[in-house]
Amino acid sequence: MSEEKVTTISAVIYLGISVVLALAFFAATGGSAYNTTARYGGAIWVFILAMIITMPVVIPQVKKRYR
Amino acid sequence: MANKQSMLAVQGMSCAACAAKIEKALKSMSGIKAARVNLPAGKVAVEYDPEQINISETTKTITDLGYQIAAEDFSFKITGMSCAACVNRVEKALRSLPGVKNAAVNLATESARVEYYPAVVEGVDIKKKVETLGYQTGERLDAQSELDREREAREAEIRRQRVNMWLTWPLGLIAMLGTMREMWIFDRFVPAWLASPYTLWFLTTPVVVIGGWQFFVNSWRGLKHGVTDMNLLYATGIGASYMIALINTLWPNAGFGGPKATFYESAALLTAFIVLGRYLEALTRGRTSEAIRKLMHLQAKIARIVRDGKEIEIPADEVQIGDLITVRPGESIPVDGKVTEGYSSVDESMITGESIPIEKKEGDEVIGGTINKTGAFKFTATRVGKETALAQIIQLVENAQGSKAPIQKIADVVAGHFILGVHLLALAVFLFWFFIGYGWWFTPNSTFLLSTSTIGTIGVFGFSMLLSLTVLVISCPCAGGLATPSAIMAGSGKGAENGILFKGAEAIETTSRLDAILFDKTGTLTRGQPSVTDVIAIGSFSQDRILQLAAAAEKNSEHPLGEAIVKEAEDKGLIIGKATSFKAIPGHGLEAELEGSQVLLGNRRLMQQWKIDFSGALQQVEELEEAGKTVMFISIDGMFAGLIAVADTIKEGSAEAVRLLKEMGIKVSMITGDNRRTAEAIARQAGIDHVLAEVLPEDKANEVIKLQEQGDRVAMVGDGINDAPALAQADVGIAIGSGTDVAKETGDIILIRGDLRDVASAVEIGKATMRKVKENLTWAFVYNTLGIPIAAGLIYPWTGWIVSPQLAALFMALSSFSVTMNTLLLKGFVPSLKKSRTVEIKRLKEGLA
Repeated sequence: MSEEKVTTISAVIYLGISVVLALAFFAATGGSAYNTTARYGGAIWVFILAMIITMPVVIPQVKKRYR
Repeated sequence: MANKQSMLAVQGMSCAACAAKIEKALKSMSGIKAARVNLPAGKVAVEYDPEQINISETTKTITDLGYQIAAEDFSFKITGMSCAACVNRVEKALRSLPGVKNAAVNLATESARVEYYPAVVEGVDIKKKVETLGYQTGERLDAQSELDREREAREAEIRRQRVNMWLTWPLGLIAMLGTMREMWIFDRFVPAWLASPYTLWFLTTPVVVIGGWQFFVNSWRGLKHGVTDMNLLYATGIGASYMIALINTLWPNAGFGGPKATFYESAALLTAFIVLGRYLEALTRGRTSEAIRKLMHLQAKIARIVRDGKEIEIPADEVQIGDLITVRPGESIPVDGKVTEGYSSVDESMITGESIPIEKKEGDEVIGGTINKTGAFKFTATRVGKETALAQIIQLVENAQGSKAPIQKIADVVAGHFILGVHLLALAVFLFWFFIGYGWWFTPNSTFLLSTSTIGTIGVFGFSMLLSLTVLVISCPCAGGLATPSAIMAGSGKGAENGILFKGAEAIETTSRLDAILFDKTGTLTRGQPSVTDVIAIGSFSQDRILQLAAAAEKNSEHPLGEAIVKEAEDKGLIIGKATSFKAIPGHGLEAELEGSQVLLGNRRLMQQWKIDFSGALQQVEELEEAGKTVMFISIDGMFAGLIAVADTIKEGSAEAVRLLKEMGIKVSMITGDNRRTAEAIARQAGIDHVLAEVLPEDKANEVIKLQEQGDRVAMVGDGINDAPALAQADVGIAIGSGTDVAKETGDIILIRGDLRDVASAVEIGKATMRKVKENLTWAFVYNTLGIPIAAGLIYPWTGWIVSPQLAALFMALSSFSVTMNTLLLKGFVPSLKKSRTVEIKRLKEGLA
């Protein structure tokens, strides 16, 4: 499998996981307890950290699986 | 994808059956299209589908079958690595390359050593792989060029970080002043416009964008390949602080503490401190490799050679074997050679560690790089260029410094997973303070640690994120990454300074934990050459007369005992006559006619054969034999005249070495093929209690195994030739240097000057180095175990303290700086024997003065 394909599949997986986590955070903060900044800011921060965490885990796994 | 072909050089195939076995095993693997063995050439051609099989799997199959695949070593430079995580990242990438057997990356020397199968992968592919990770690669040149290049690269890095410092610090401090305008008396001299968020934005942006650019670029390059390093921690920390500040500027009511709270000084000072850490690291890193630099400086630049009867000066690297070279007092000897004319004393301390100058006369060997002290002499070059002892020593030290101690491998693995762990922790910290902690414990009176400023009315998101990013910044694993390689470099350098060459980091680590040392007897504990120990005259004969006649009788003998007698007579200045007739009596001795007298010299059987009565000397004979000496009987004109005892004597320093090792709690034993009586006599003199006598050379390794089976870590000390199997079997093989051809010595440690006291010094250096490693690792561990929980807000509910990102950056910079400084303390380490010797020499000099 080509390098580009590995990159694409990996990106789909880690982006997917990160988006899901960010949305989960956003949903968990619904209601009146948190203001908009906290909800959006928190979701973005969760997304960034989730990306950083999942990228180095997902990419080698995809490489291993498809090569 | 098309099939690929590789040609593997396989060793150990002896017949067609081997070839068939390999072919069959390979063909049974899925993805292998064809496998052909060329037995005479020792090659295996493999055609495979790269989508189905990795070539490394084929090499594994072949090695599993019991054959070896010839691998080659490839060393090259890597610049741009900053921490243990980088090391881990590069090693991981290299090992994933098909055809790479092993890869070791050294942060301190900025180099990689790759063992690879040349048929599968090439050096250029290996370097390309590293470059895709965002590092720069270069050739490893000869040691001098290597050093120049390393220095240039380090200086460039120092310059780069200095420029960054000049940018980040002034702007960061001004931004901090602006932020603190309303505190204490600052409002009296800090203008109001400086406290404006827009001014602070203007000041901080170049700090983050220019000073912090390196961290963003490097971390992105890594992430693209699925690897992380500490640049990512910095980038997230700096980026997040800057983004918070920017949001607070554009939307003051966003919940980051209101319009008066800016985080610009956090972003700016965080960058400044990280740049400071990089700068300090660049400054100190090169100092641990000073040992090689010192050795390099020993090399003479110019040689004065004699050509056509004239002395001409040429560059030292143009000297050829056989050239006649002249050396004047005070000059450095350019290459290795043999003295042909003249007499002098030479300071060899820089190579052998021996502090007293060595006398050199015709026939003696001289070592390139040593300093001629008093006289002038001429010598013939015997080794030049990379063959000289100095060049070999430099190569060995370089290899040792580039190798990896087992303890470091663990540290690297930990560091490799650490970054990921820290990000997970940062996420956990954020979620905890967001959902639980803020509501339970937050108070606006909270203060930053080591600061009087309060954080004010910060919202739940701002507070949680602040703690989260402080965790990222404080968790830098660089102290842990530098802990071991820097100490190993300093330790191997210290060894070289004392004439002890450690061939690898593992040798240093194992030496520090030895339980038992086995010494070979002949040539190791003893001089390896018999010498006359006693001359006993009987009746009217004098000692000198007996020795004189015995030496004359033995003059033409090539027997080692005869040579010892002749040498003793020569040393005493006796005139050795010439025998008029000479007859060797095999198994007994000899009969000679000298100055009209008949001389018989040999063992007791010779005396008994000639019916010469020696009963009066029987007790002395017994005593001498009990002491392990070989006794020779001499009769003159049929009268018993006396005894000459010859024995191998122990080397100066052997007993002292044994005593020191015993004091360190190490079990000391002697192993020899000699008979028990002789062995025990030598062991008594050396102070060794445990003797393994009458052991055949091939069984010495078994004796080492027996000790290892008792759970001991064993070192074997031998001359490196007949002891090779035992040296290889031992946990640490210590070879006594024979001559200057150090590269040919087997063993993990080479003692250049063959003084056994260096065994004790090697153990001391090993212990001191590992002590430093442990101190460094402990410090790094303590730093992280204390720093991370505090940064995560563990003490906040009780104290109301949180760590500011800039303070976290300062701690992080100090942690790696302190590790390097602690390692540099090893430079002052002096082995106890050398210390006492230096004091002795000083006293002698004072006495003479």
